[in-house]
Amino acid sequence: MTDQALIYQFQQGETKEQSFTQLLKRHQEAVFFQIKKMVLDHADADDIAQAVWIKVWNKLDGFKHESAFSTWLFRVAYNETLNFIAQKKRIQEQSGQKELKDNIQLSSSQESIKESNIQIKLERAIAELPEKQRFVFMLRYFEAYDYEKIAAITGTTIGGAKANYHQAVKKMTELIQND
Amino acid sequence: MENESISTALENALKKFQEKNNQVPEGYFDQFEQQLMRRVQGEASAPKKATIFAIIGQQKKYLVAASLLFAIVTGYLFLNTTANNTSPMTQVETIEIETLPDEIIESYVNNNELIAELEWNTAIENTAASVSLNNN
Repeated sequence: MTDQALIYQFQQGETKEQSFTQLLKRHQEAVFFQIKKMVLDHADADDIAQAVWIKVWNKLDGFKHESAFSTWLFRVAYNETLNFIAQKKRIQEQSGQKELKDNIQLSSSQESIKESNIQIKLERAIAELPEKQRFVFMLRYFEAYDYEKIAAITGTTIGGAKANYHQAVKKMTELIQND
Repeated sequence: MENESISTALENALKKFQEKNNQVPEGYFDQFEQQLMRRVQGEASAPKKATIFAIIGQQKKYLVAASLLFAIVTGYLFLNTTANNTSPMTQVETIEIETLPDEIIESYVNNNELIAELEWNTAIENTAASVSLNNN
């Protein structure tokens, strides 16, 4: 059964939970791993993923099939991730805690015995990327999404998405080589 | 393809990065599903919290009627209170005069009688003078 058919079933309200569970089973891994690559922390990724799927449950009745479900789903994930990161930054600033990149450096250095130097550098480079560039890069590189879909997810133009991707690659390459 | 423009070093690092970040504890997604469905069922059964704006939107007619009623009642009470506030004062004055002892009233009248008589005589004289002038 297609995503569209499952959504229609959900919207009719007869087999709401079954339809939702099917959609969840189908997409939860992709959504979770995308979020995990953004925040690099399992517990944070879990919180965000829960928030994403709760939102999907609450808003799916209003889904108008104007885009693919996966596009809409990743757009929800994108917004929730950005909100989470912004909120976490605010809390860290208020409490004087270290930023995400500093935490990554710390956690990376703890595992430095296992990981190569280049791996640590990469994580730091990824953490230093602006959130939008990071999200675009992950979708393009790991999910192999086309730019049209990425643009729809991140609310930008196709050209903007391409620029974000190339900027991310450039910055990561520079940071890995120079650091 | 964009991936071709990525250096080998970066590509290898990204491969390891993916391996590391695509790992979850065993049975994590099953647990996630169960947890989520519990939350979803909880939300579905719980009464939805209505925001103040939603309530205002739904009950607009009743709120307007209630506001009008409130204004009318407040106005009535205000006017009524003002009217009540004036009557006790008049009552106080009346009571005070009525409760005055006769002696005080008589002495007041006697004292003022002379003044009144003088005023009265002056008025008669003035009137008489004006009448005689008119006759002449």
